[in-house]
Amino acid sequence: MATDTRTTVSEGFGEVSRTVGTAFRYLLLAATLVGILAVGVLFVYVGNDAIQPLTADPGWHLTFFLTLVVPTLAVGGVLRARADGSFRVGLESLGLLAVMPLFAGGVATLFLSVLPALVTFSYAVALGLVVATVVALMRSRRVGFGAKLLVVGVATVVSLLFVPGIIQSLPFVPVEWLLVALTLGTPVAAIAGAYATSSWNDRRTGRIAGAAALGGVVAAGLLGSLIGFGGTAATILAAVAGVPVALYAATALDRHPARRDGLLLPLTVVGGMLLGAFLVRTVGFAGPAAWLDWAFLTGPNSITAEDAGIYPALVGSILLMLIVALLSFPVGIGAAVYLEEYAPDSRLAQLIEVNIANLAGVPSVVYGLLGLGLLARMLDEGLPILPAAIADPLGLEPVRVGANLFGIGTVFVGGMTLSLLILPIVIISSQEAIRSVPPSQRQASYGMGATRWQTIRNVVLPKAFPGILTGTILALGRAIGETAPLLVIGAPNQFGLPQELSSRVGAMPLQIYAWATTSGTPEFYAKVIPAGVVVLLVAMLAMNSVAIVLRNRFQS
Amino acid sequence: MGADNLDDSLTTQTENSPRELLARSFFFVCAFVSILTTVGIVFVLVTEATTFFSETAGLRGVTGPTVSIVDFLTGTEFSIASEQFGVLPLLSGTLAIVVGAAVIALPLGVATAIYLSEYADPQTRKYLKPALEILAGVPTVIYGYFAVEYITPLLERYLFPDIGFFNALSASIVVGIMIIPMVSSISEDAMSAVPDDLREAGYGMGATKFDVSTGIVVPAAISGIFSSFILAISRAIGETMAVTIAAGASPKLVEFGTVGAGPVSVPYPDPAYFLEPIQTMTSAMVQLLFSDITGGGVAYRSLFGIGITLFVITLIMNVLSDWVASRYQEDYD
Repeated sequence: MATDTRTTVSEGFGEVSRTVGTAFRYLLLAATLVGILAVGVLFVYVGNDAIQPLTADPGWHLTFFLTLVVPTLAVGGVLRARADGSFRVGLESLGLLAVMPLFAGGVATLFLSVLPALVTFSYAVALGLVVATVVALMRSRRVGFGAKLLVVGVATVVSLLFVPGIIQSLPFVPVEWLLVALTLGTPVAAIAGAYATSSWNDRRTGRIAGAAALGGVVAAGLLGSLIGFGGTAATILAAVAGVPVALYAATALDRHPARRDGLLLPLTVVGGMLLGAFLVRTVGFAGPAAWLDWAFLTGPNSITAEDAGIYPALVGSILLMLIVALLSFPVGIGAAVYLEEYAPDSRLAQLIEVNIANLAGVPSVVYGLLGLGLLARMLDEGLPILPAAIADPLGLEPVRVGANLFGIGTVFVGGMTLSLLILPIVIISSQEAIRSVPPSQRQASYGMGATRWQTIRNVVLPKAFPGILTGTILALGRAIGETAPLLVIGAPNQFGLPQELSSRVGAMPLQIYAWATTSGTPEFYAKVIPAGVVVLLVAMLAMNSVAIVLRNRFQS
Repeated sequence: MGADNLDDSLTTQTENSPRELLARSFFFVCAFVSILTTVGIVFVLVTEATTFFSETAGLRGVTGPTVSIVDFLTGTEFSIASEQFGVLPLLSGTLAIVVGAAVIALPLGVATAIYLSEYADPQTRKYLKPALEILAGVPTVIYGYFAVEYITPLLERYLFPDIGFFNALSASIVVGIMIIPMVSSISEDAMSAVPDDLREAGYGMGATKFDVSTGIVVPAAISGIFSSFILAISRAIGETMAVTIAAGASPKLVEFGTVGAGPVSVPYPDPAYFLEPIQTMTSAMVQLLFSDITGGGVAYRSLFGIGITLFVITLIMNVLSDWVASRYQEDYD
């Protein structure tokens, strides 16, 4: 502002006020940074305890410094100096390359430990048939809406009841990786095709991209099983990490061919890492004696610090996130649509809005009490479809469903509780995203004769989608760290690998709490907990960074 | 669509066609889930808490030990083993955490808000805001571990040699750090909403940026700032994992010393309370969970007694925050 430079007007006065102003400014900056720096230092401490980089050979550090750090800095510096956007392409693809394998690992744990490939495949086929029915019916204009609804309903029931059984009893089934490739590769290919269609504005390119994605996933599975890496793991890595990275690189290069050189940055990093690892192994330099290693990530929990691993808790957290996403996203987005599009100023909507604002302020431990009292204990026998109070006078048997899902500390109750907990956040952020869609676009849609639902489906939701996605991912990031509600619904301290929705729930923050209290030996405090903390932090930061990148990308 | 069924298609595509009704009902049910959640919370807390208090337990047909509401609210001893359920020691612990956290978070949060709203350029803000969000996003169980493993030893070495392994001070420090973003983001919104006319009027009168920030923007945004304080304090009251891990599990009332001489003696709370292990309402709930969870005994029911107290306190604070924000809001239109 102009006043900052106009300080020499009258003798003395300006000097004094400038000193005060400058001091105040830096005081404010310091205050802003205190919290950030404190937490940053704590992160460094905990990372040091988990990885212990100083225990490595100096030669190890030197090798990686020469093969990884120096070339990366050189290439990055050159790209940045060129200032033609290639540096940004390099950074973004590097970020994708760093984050997507993490998500691939998460998906892989689900497929390897929780979901049997054949069962998943059979349900995927059943769902695919339903989707195919819906798509086929949407095209037809001759069938009335009621008839369509009936057909879809019947198709859903029939398909989910019979198709999985038929497929599971087939005499010949493909090998596991091929099942996973089809289960996971088909939706990934469909999304890739849709994305390519919209970004090139060309259906043919979209079809080619989709086919290439599916082919690539299957090829990766074949290659992985041939070289002994594991067909399933290679399939998942290709579907979750490979396809998005390839798609990103293809779109970025097609739009700005001059930025092609940006891809040198990720290549340098990957090449440097491989070269460094090769050199270190040949020469025999010892790496850091990290506590956070492959054995910790994939090992079961134990009462001794040496053998304690985080794998069951990791799988539990991922399973919980899956349930939370499936339950809270549709409901949260639906509620936001109702509040913004259907009843913006009605009495009821105001009541619901006040209610949501207050729910957002309810402590998480109270949500735990809701889960414990209602879901775990009152519904222990299952959800009453036909309660005893109605059934008895009529001489019928009371009907209750889902008796094994509800109960003390099951995965399902944990997921429900966390979903209710983050629902206010999902609703509020989705509302903001929907509100930011300009009213003129809605009016244009109405003006063309579209109904409210058509406007919502074709105009509002597509426009608001990036914002909704950002908010919901941030909410998931909050859910993955929640401990208190899971503790209250009765999750025990020692838990095995969750196999189904009625298993006892385990999660990374719960595991950290258990390590900190029941097995709180100095060994655990100094080594095991830091490693667990780093895993949890990486998961949370990966989700947050995806959300923040999405926000920055679509805000402009 | 042929011309003969034009009428038909017109009526089926209106606001009350089956498709529109289905969509509207689905969205309404989604919105109604939030009401159901509130009803569920109140229902569970009330039905279970009424079996805990002796005044109402008879009506619910509960036999076994109960606690009267008066004893619960005024009892000075909390012990699960001897079935003493006075909430005052827990309130005292919660209050200590809140005071400690507020001392850290309120000034830092307001300073951050002033910096972000008045001083920072857009580029700096772009990096600082996500960094601040991370402070609130770090799982609280990790904050608890940080307090025990890194902060307490630091305090012991440099400031308070006789600090306990578990203590209120380190717990309140981490709770303070985690609520900074809550204060700063709501306060910043309030400051950004102050119209530029006011600032320019200030500059026109010869005020410096410092004068404008402290003399115009902060007073104009004061309702939002206070509302953020109340919300942040409410969050600190409900915070569970960090205090459970770091503050210990020894419920005790704060002791009072007196200052002054003769007839004029003013009691003050003893600050040594911060260096000792304490217990808050939330950490007492976690401890109760490990004593008896499936049986439905008095410990289980007391969980809901404390829970409803916590719920009512945080609800009052949320409503109060809303009221402050709207009641004292300056209207510039």
